[in-house]
Amino acid sequence: MKKLADHLGQELAQQAQTDPRIFVLDGDLADSDGAYLFAQQHPDRFLMAGIAEQNMVSVAAGMADCGVRPWVFSFAAFLSYRAYDQVRIGLSQAEQPVTLVGSHAGGLAARNGKTHAAPNDLALMLSLPNMHVWAPGDFSDVQLAVASSLQNNAPCYIRLPRRAFSAHEQLKVEEGLGQTSPRPASGERWLREKQSVTIVSTGLGSHWALEAADILLQQGYLVGLLHCPCLAPLPPLAQELAGVSQIVVIEDHTVFGGLASLLASLGLTAPITSFGWPMQYCGKSGSDEQLRAHYGLSGAALAAKIAPLTQTSAPVALAQGAHSLHSIVSCIS
Amino acid sequence: MNSINQHSQQAMQRVATAEVSVQRQAHCGSTLAAEAKAIRRDIVETLYQTGGGHYGGALSVTDILLTLYRRQLRLCPAIPRHAQRDRLILSKGHAAVALYAMLRRLAYFDAPLAEYASFDSILEGHPDMASVPGIDFSSGSLGQGLSVGIGMALALRTSGQQVWVVLGDGECQEGQIWEAAMLATNCQLSNLCAIVDCNLYQEWGWAATKDEAHPPPVSQMRHKWQAFGWRVIEVDGHDHAALEAAYQTAMPSTTNQATTGQPTVILANTNKGHGVPLIANAPWRFHCETVTEAEHASILESLR
Repeated sequence: MKKLADHLGQELAQQAQTDPRIFVLDGDLADSDGAYLFAQQHPDRFLMAGIAEQNMVSVAAGMADCGVRPWVFSFAAFLSYRAYDQVRIGLSQAEQPVTLVGSHAGGLAARNGKTHAAPNDLALMLSLPNMHVWAPGDFSDVQLAVASSLQNNAPCYIRLPRRAFSAHEQLKVEEGLGQTSPRPASGERWLREKQSVTIVSTGLGSHWALEAADILLQQGYLVGLLHCPCLAPLPPLAQELAGVSQIVVIEDHTVFGGLASLLASLGLTAPITSFGWPMQYCGKSGSDEQLRAHYGLSGAALAAKIAPLTQTSAPVALAQGAHSLHSIVSCIS
Repeated sequence: MNSINQHSQQAMQRVATAEVSVQRQAHCGSTLAAEAKAIRRDIVETLYQTGGGHYGGALSVTDILLTLYRRQLRLCPAIPRHAQRDRLILSKGHAAVALYAMLRRLAYFDAPLAEYASFDSILEGHPDMASVPGIDFSSGSLGQGLSVGIGMALALRTSGQQVWVVLGDGECQEGQIWEAAMLATNCQLSNLCAIVDCNLYQEWGWAATKDEAHPPPVSQMRHKWQAFGWRVIEVDGHDHAALEAAYQTAMPSTTNQATTGQPTVILANTNKGHGVPLIANAPWRFHCETVTEAEHASILESLR
């Protein structure tokens, strides 16, 4: 079992052996957010910047302007909330190639509870100009995100879930799906073949989506599943989703401001039904299983809500934790 | 690619055949005192023509910037982002017009100051590195420049290049300043110097106490910086010779390597509205305001 953040720390340490630009700053959470694996190998290129995230992000911006490629590690909540103005000005407006690695992202903060949860971090980061945004779902996505960030001269936010994954819990394409083309650098891939009803998911949400798709399959319902780890720049999802009559979004994020909102902005003809954390969700202490079950995001609960969609493409009544993106858009327009 | 990079590339092409190095921009064709007065005229004319702005803070920081640019910084205006240049961050970005006036005199750009903060101008309301040649980092949201300077000083600590950050004393109310102050000493950054424009005023200010009718933005400024481990130099922020000496003490030009292991802060005691009695005598009135035609005439008269 290994956390995606730990995998990222290892991958970055590996890259640093041949890329002298890489430098890591951490806000005193290195043992929790994966940075320790870099620090152990490259102690002279690691700075414990103190429990001072605002300062740390601006320091990284200054380094980046002098040719360094800083990677800033902390919990997603502290990078995206505590240091948002510093990200806005020093990274987004100033176009500095700093990569933020936000561990413990999303709505599941275990015993830490709501202060440490980041259920709407994507809404903040996706709405900043110039930001690249990734929500990796497995080890291979992490490697793509690291490679992409090092190749692109842009600020980048990588959100990673708290939980660890086994080598078997990787988001592999379905056997026999016949995807012959190489995986794009942005990492999107069909985990289940495209169907009239297709799930689009990202990050940890893709594991929830797989659970739901497997339950649905056992019940005789076929749904497609497209996993999309890179959210900005958004890959050509309209093209990928051509022919789909009902889109279902599953994400470890509030139902507004994340992947579902991105898809809604594309003006697709297929209706979008979104499953994620309700807008009133602050985060809460509890196990992953308890929280998902309570908010209707367990595999079984999701499957139960998706099943009716396979029989009609018309809008359906939505349960707790779900919103129609059409109604969201109409509310704010 | 942003416009500043495009500008740099064009500049690089212009000087492609010549070896262009960084150097002090000492030649101004006049004394510092005369140039200071000319910059102040630029500031007040610009603000009057463009709808007002931060008179007081721009006039208080003028001599700090002028002495830095003419006596200390090693730069290359033909290549604004020359890799070997010293860095200057005007963290109190609301004094942008003072910086623009200085940079224009150094030929970083020829956009008219009268376009300041207008839609079609490169001269954004607050310093914008993406549009204005010569701006080493964007500022405007207070409190971030010292941290950015730390990042630059870390990246440049073995290069002999110096990093200067100009702060406002009101800006030092931002918590991030003190996060940065703590880290700079931990990192032993002696190639970093902060200058605080201590003009003693801010937009609204603290309420009067029984002891002080007008409490300063940050009390016991010297003691606070000392407590954070900084070397503190206090100077008259309008005395060019004193400023130059303070800069040399903070970071001697003959030293190529960081040696003291301690960052320096220069507390520059200034008058908000210096050079214009009308403004200096009513700093709150002119913090960020428009002036009447009669006031403008009076202001210009002060700067003859």
